[in-house]
Amino acid sequence: MAEGGGGRDSGGDKARDEFFSEAQELVDGLGRDLLALDKALKHGRTDAELVNDVFRGVHTLKGLSALFGVTRMAGLSHELEDVLDDLRLGRLELTAGLLDLLFRAVGLYSRVLSAEKGDGEEPSSEIEELLAALGQTSQRPTGGAGGAVAQYDLDPALFGVLTEYEEHRLRSNIQQGMSLFRIKVRFALATIDSALDELKASARPHGEIITYLPTGSGADVDTIELEILMAGRGTAEVLRGAITGPNVVIEEVRRRAAATSALPAAARASGAPAVTPAPEAPASTVASGHMPAEPPPGVVATPPARGSGEARVPDATSSGDAMAVAAPAHPTRGGTAARGAAGDMSLRSVSQTVRVDIRKLDLLMTIVGELAIVKTGITRLSERARSRAADPSKLAMELQRLNRDFDRHLAQMQGGILEVRMVPLGQVFDKLARVVRQISRELGKEVNLVVTGAETEIDKLIVEELSDPLMHMIRNAIDHAIEIRADRLRVGKPPIGTIALNAFQKGNHVVIEVEDDGAGMDPRVIAAAAVRRAIITAEEAADLSPREIFALVFMPGFTTRDVATDMSGRGVGLDVVKTNIAKLGGVVDIASEVGIGTKITITLPITLAIINVLLVEIAGRLFAVPLASVDEAILLDGSQVRAVDSREVLTVRGASLPICRLDRLFGLPSTRRAREYVVIAQVATRRLGFVVDEIVGQRDIVIKALGPSLKGVRGFVGATELGDQRVALVLDVAALVEEVLSPGEARFLPWQPAARRA
Amino acid sequence: MALVSKARTEKRAARRAGEMGARTEYLAFALAGEDYAVRIAHVAEILKPPPITEVPRASPTVLGVVSVRGRLVTVVDLRRRFRLPEATVDGLPDRKARILLADVGRGEQIGLLVDEVRQVWRLAADEIEPANALGGEQPAHIAGIGRPANGDGIVLILLDLHPILDSP
Repeated sequence: MAEGGGGRDSGGDKARDEFFSEAQELVDGLGRDLLALDKALKHGRTDAELVNDVFRGVHTLKGLSALFGVTRMAGLSHELEDVLDDLRLGRLELTAGLLDLLFRAVGLYSRVLSAEKGDGEEPSSEIEELLAALGQTSQRPTGGAGGAVAQYDLDPALFGVLTEYEEHRLRSNIQQGMSLFRIKVRFALATIDSALDELKASARPHGEIITYLPTGSGADVDTIELEILMAGRGTAEVLRGAITGPNVVIEEVRRRAAATSALPAAARASGAPAVTPAPEAPASTVASGHMPAEPPPGVVATPPARGSGEARVPDATSSGDAMAVAAPAHPTRGGTAARGAAGDMSLRSVSQTVRVDIRKLDLLMTIVGELAIVKTGITRLSERARSRAADPSKLAMELQRLNRDFDRHLAQMQGGILEVRMVPLGQVFDKLARVVRQISRELGKEVNLVVTGAETEIDKLIVEELSDPLMHMIRNAIDHAIEIRADRLRVGKPPIGTIALNAFQKGNHVVIEVEDDGAGMDPRVIAAAAVRRAIITAEEAADLSPREIFALVFMPGFTTRDVATDMSGRGVGLDVVKTNIAKLGGVVDIASEVGIGTKITITLPITLAIINVLLVEIAGRLFAVPLASVDEAILLDGSQVRAVDSREVLTVRGASLPICRLDRLFGLPSTRRAREYVVIAQVATRRLGFVVDEIVGQRDIVIKALGPSLKGVRGFVGATELGDQRVALVLDVAALVEEVLSPGEARFLPWQPAARRA
Repeated sequence: MALVSKARTEKRAARRAGEMGARTEYLAFALAGEDYAVRIAHVAEILKPPPITEVPRASPTVLGVVSVRGRLVTVVDLRRRFRLPEATVDGLPDRKARILLADVGRGEQIGLLVDEVRQVWRLAADEIEPANALGGEQPAHIAGIGRPANGDGIVLILLDLHPILDSP
């Protein structure tokens, strides 16, 4: 922070906000480009255009960050720019290892941005590490084709005028076995621009134009002769057919008899790299040197007995043979990997900006216009009301009409504003693809990420809060669930693991599934681990259904691992995921089958801004229950209530429904009433009835957060104003259902302060 | 004419203050029969208590939340916080009761319910005794004792709001 604060006063807050949003966009773009590069690389290609895009992105970031005094970022960009320049010019070969470094840089960019915003620490030491790694990389030229270029009968002076990039393109074309052609064309000065474009267009299908230079010979005042150096696959004949014109001369550049001539002196003088056909540094060593997370095969530090205790890989002793081989084969990540970017990185973007389709704004503008008309109507009406002659019943009718109009437009306005807040989930999915790549490389596992429903839209705020929990879940899946290649083949699975990320809308909710085809979880292993960690007792464990057992992995302190250095043992557990999702009013569910895989389902409200609630009265106080989680409200029939275990159960239409008396839960004075109501809430697949004194009615409300001084209070998502200065608390239905129905201690004890969980 | 004389009075007051050294302004209020005062710089606003919505499961010192121009503010009952006897049997604030909107510049404003707001005192350094003048260990929220020279022997318990806002 301290070092980054230099330029804080150079622009206003607004300029700084714009900086954050622009920088964030650039960083996101870099991530996407790198992923595309990675994909191309897997098919053995290096996309020169993409490398160029990345280079340009970093270059822009460098300028931007220097302008705003974010020196860390500018420094990193500067170093990256050098490496990317080398890549662009072919001095360096793109390898998976080098890509790792670039991906790491993208991660660090995000963290520097967060730190600049005052969110988290500046990753200074990581930046130093990366800079050192980058420094080593750029010192190893790949060399290669220099000798090949020398085979051609090219004018030595030519090398003096080629830019480095052109020279690189020349070399790489020759390496790919292209022939070289020299094209002399005479253009009329007046039309040279369009004529040159035309020529480029007709040449493109046949190869790449390396450069064009004026020859300076035989030109009269109105024309200019250009010599074009082009690399192509065909013959001179083919080219002559393609590029026609009265003033075109095409000839192939011949190869020399022997490749004796070194690169012309002019080339060195011009500052071009010394391209000797000398030792071709195997680029992979460059990369793996900096990647401690890639243990050589066979280095397995985990003692087999320990490796079996993982969250998702069932214990060797309690589940079949297939699992017994799976566990010990997990590569161990030492402290280095745990410290790695995946461990403490955050995908949250620092930008609070939403890009809005101008048409959405136009719509809003129209609605504002309509509202203005309603306002005019009210003004006119109030003037008429002041005059004695006005007929009260007519006024009332008019007022009613205006009120209806106002209602309708306001509703449209609300809808429009909500829509503006919506962003596609693809924004966060893109970032997750980066994480998958990084973690799978760190852990030495091959994983394929399949995304569906990236276009599903959700509130911008939720998207932001969602990225970190999703990242945890995906990391868990790769770390614990996906088996290594050999084990997968042994049990007849495809060698490459798959993680599916599915999103879709379901009513007022968005559902996100994270599904893997890994080892699955064994309820017995989970239960045993929970007992070992004293989360539940052995007796309680015996009573739980598999579903309740799976829910235990979300309990604070749950881990099946005993080794603290492991990624999973560092406290960033699934309980955090659950808490974060719950804060958004969502729920997490988990289903798993040994040997088949695990599916975690997150159900979230589409927006947090305006919600429809049911107002209820409990002990003379008003509370709001979000309607999204209310199934129905019925009159409580006392004769249908039975006490089962420590819980009251109501029979509704022949089925049991656990009920919870909110006055008791909240410690409010109990008011015995002849009539009571049950509000039946449904969260994911769990149902619970809340007993209330009175149903007051429905209302659209805006939720306001309770102050930080009340953050320890569980059970409320916030409060809302009722319009008459009164405030009603809004129930956090997901948390209450969880609290009342969840297994383990929470069920057996009365309320405890939330601070325990923090 | 009235304006001129007012300006003159103010000028005179300012001169007098300058002669007597730096002074700090305190807002005095009553709580269970005692006189308390807080630095006026830490009071953003004084409100007539709107209906207070109780928050179940919150700490017992928290009376509830109120809405102040669309913002939710947590209200702390200073009597309960200081373990003083409850104000009224029915729990409703008295007609004179006020909520001080306390703000020590940490983002969250907290409402403090007091029995009655009295007046502003401008205390010079020599009118303030440190908290240890009371002898023994004093709670962290007691900053000192104010004895205004022109106060007819009034004793003000000066409060430091930081500990109260840290754990209401």
